[in-house]
Amino acid sequence: MNAFLLAAGPLGVGLPLDASKEGWRIDEMINVTSLFVLLIFAIMIVWMAWSIFGHGPKHEAVHDHGERRSSWLWTVAVAGLIFVVVDGDLLVRTLVAVNRIYWNFDWAEQQPNAVRVEINAHQWAWAVRYAGPDGVFNTADDVVTLNEVVLPKDAPALFQVASTDVLHSFNVPNMRMKVDAVPGTINRMWFTPALVGDYEIGCAQHCGANHYKMQGMVHVVEPAEFRQWLAAASANSRQGFDPQDGAAHWGWDWAEHTRAR
Amino acid sequence: MIAEEHLDREALELAEALQPIHHPPHSFFRKYLWSLDHKVIAKQYLWSGLIFLLVGGTLAMVIRWQWAFPGRAVPVLGPVFFRDSGGAVGPAQYMQVFTMHGLIMIFFAITPILIGAFGNYCIPLLIGARDMAFPWLNALSYWVFALSLCLVIGSFLGELGAAGAGWTTYPPLSTNVGTPGSGQTLMVAAVFVTGVSSIMGGINYVTTVIRLRAPGMTYFRMPLTVWGLFLTAVLNVLFVPVLGSAALLLLLDRTLGTQFYLAGAATQGGGDPILFQHLFWIFGHPEVYILILPAWGIVGDLLAYFSRKPANWYRGSVLSMVAVTVLSAVVYGHHMFMTGINPLLGQGFMVLTLIISIPAELLFLNWLRTIWKGSMRLTTPMLFALGMVFVFGLGGLTGLYLGAVAPDFYLHDTMFVVGHFHFTMAAASFLASFAGLYFWFPKMFGRSMSEPLGKTHFWVTVVGITLVFGGQLLAGYSGQHRRLYDPFVYQYLQPLRALNRYTSYAAFILFLGQLAFIWNFFHSLVRGPKAEANPWQVGTLEWSIPSPPPMHNFDHLPVVRRGPHELSSPEVRARLGRDWIGQAEVLPDAHDVPKTAPARG
Repeated sequence: MNAFLLAAGPLGVGLPLDASKEGWRIDEMINVTSLFVLLIFAIMIVWMAWSIFGHGPKHEAVHDHGERRSSWLWTVAVAGLIFVVVDGDLLVRTLVAVNRIYWNFDWAEQQPNAVRVEINAHQWAWAVRYAGPDGVFNTADDVVTLNEVVLPKDAPALFQVASTDVLHSFNVPNMRMKVDAVPGTINRMWFTPALVGDYEIGCAQHCGANHYKMQGMVHVVEPAEFRQWLAAASANSRQGFDPQDGAAHWGWDWAEHTRAR
Repeated sequence: MIAEEHLDREALELAEALQPIHHPPHSFFRKYLWSLDHKVIAKQYLWSGLIFLLVGGTLAMVIRWQWAFPGRAVPVLGPVFFRDSGGAVGPAQYMQVFTMHGLIMIFFAITPILIGAFGNYCIPLLIGARDMAFPWLNALSYWVFALSLCLVIGSFLGELGAAGAGWTTYPPLSTNVGTPGSGQTLMVAAVFVTGVSSIMGGINYVTTVIRLRAPGMTYFRMPLTVWGLFLTAVLNVLFVPVLGSAALLLLLDRTLGTQFYLAGAATQGGGDPILFQHLFWIFGHPEVYILILPAWGIVGDLLAYFSRKPANWYRGSVLSMVAVTVLSAVVYGHHMFMTGINPLLGQGFMVLTLIISIPAELLFLNWLRTIWKGSMRLTTPMLFALGMVFVFGLGGLTGLYLGAVAPDFYLHDTMFVVGHFHFTMAAASFLASFAGLYFWFPKMFGRSMSEPLGKTHFWVTVVGITLVFGGQLLAGYSGQHRRLYDPFVYQYLQPLRALNRYTSYAAFILFLGQLAFIWNFFHSLVRGPKAEANPWQVGTLEWSIPSPPPMHNFDHLPVVRRGPHELSSPEVRARLGRDWIGQAEVLPDAHDVPKTAPARG
């Protein structure tokens, strides 16, 4: 199914490349629902056209209030059928996807190869923090970058997202995921990058005049390359670490925020 | 039968005593400014709404220009409004443009036209009353609304420009942290003040429908238009106060330095920005239905009238509208799936949101079955009603994706959302408003509008709307997120340049097409042929009195005998020789009818 969904159609219309392991679920939901929607819409158009052209002024109107039981039961049955099939499909798929994957943070936290990243959004950039080799955030070996997120392929990437000023939304369309960055709160999201490459980060929540420029990039690399990069970057940060610079220590204790609010 | 007539007479005497006929005022002030006549107040709302519709539409054209040609000087408007930046829109001005577009369209264009104008005009006439229950409160509600319009104009003149935090006005961006300056403050105040006006209007509408229905006008004999307006008024009374409190706290944060909505490292506030979102959407989701229920009502009636057929399963439509009204209060969380909402709460809101599609589907199926096997007259109002069904189909169906959490991860805050709510709140509401305007214009102004111009207006509008908002849906599906000054700074959005440009061309044509309406409206107002009392051959009460009606509407209050859509009844045809009968008309006994009555009207 995926192959035909990924091709950008005329005018560039089409879902962007899905670079995550879980994104197919969302794509499939969107596309299956689209098929239902187009089918219903087509039936509606034909029905309306028939009424307009077939039942015009020359046609004698049938005096029917549609209040007989057999008549309204027909209406209820059609509405029920649409609800069970179309809404039901969306509901079941979403419940499965959300509980098993997208909001199942416990599972992702337990994966031994999981990568943890703290994102601190502000007007108009993304500050990014990795715990470094000691696995503890806000210490001297933390790796801090601006607008650049490096992730290993095939490892769950967990994000804790906050904001210092106004609302932002950490949005990676190629991973089919976003979460709001809220001042005073730490929000979570996760996905598993499946394809090596560079994928744009955008801010999805209006955050002021330069909202459109609040861009970033996810670099998905092979796991070995990631380990190399992290080690080198961490050694660098240790050298530049300044214990007096309070503003630079914006990180937080990861474990405190691993439970749902 | 005799007992019933006796009861009718008693009820009629009581109603007449409750609503005595007042002499029409003569002074200009009492006739046009502080008028207590609901029909004049309706026109005051109509004029205000149409003017601000033009303002909101013009702002939309600036947005579309920016997406077609980012950063290029805006023709015509640029040299006047964006002189400092050489005619081009800057990022800070751009956010003011889309913020003012949204707020003006919702609160100062659709609301006054659909609720202020049609609510005031239709409710008393369609239920057989001489005026609103509280005429003085009615006039006050308009002038409070006019005050809010002054605040909107004031916002444009603010020293740092107009409001810029988006129509949703989310803090902390909407506090002094993100948008200092009087423009944003005045706009929040304008929303608060217009809310006060809406509550006054709502109380008046609800009371009028409950207390002033003519004898025999039972709830299930009310036209669907009245039902829609009534339920909208109920929602206004219940939920606008919530918006009012949200706006008031925001005003305090902005002016007195409180911190209800401030949190985070930069502000060190002890408040909660998410609190605002809860309050806003507790109002905001019912608001969607506030703007669509009158449209549903109008369209439900017009489809029946011009199919010359009773509305299919009238009671089902009424109950569906009631169900939507009730459910609208418990689905708002689907706007907040990305805020870190508790997963259980998120899924609960998802289930409730999907459930609301059942009554919506019932309503829709009733419309489709109403036009089936009718004798359709494609008048301008009917075309607009059919157009509304078409765009509401698109708008309603695209809501499915956004009601479910998982697709929303991807689609939230994209142009898909923008396209979806424009199809429902903008396209459906405005097409229904136009349907209503073309339909009631003869009654309102005593003159007829031009049908050829009306049809031209229809085709440009419905095709334009479909292309513009359809283009937004496609852009969102392809990943373009909202409120971007220049979407094409993103590499992955580069392929969407052409789509955005074509969509803008459609928008410009849509805008220019409204000239057909403006010309038709003003020309017909002055030069249109005199309208008959009942040009559409419809049986509801407003068509049983002259066009335009006298100030007291009904010389004698009617006694209602049947529902609003008694069309093409064989019995009526046989006895009256036409396919319609008034709601208060007495059907002559069979033996009184001459045998040679014409077969069809």
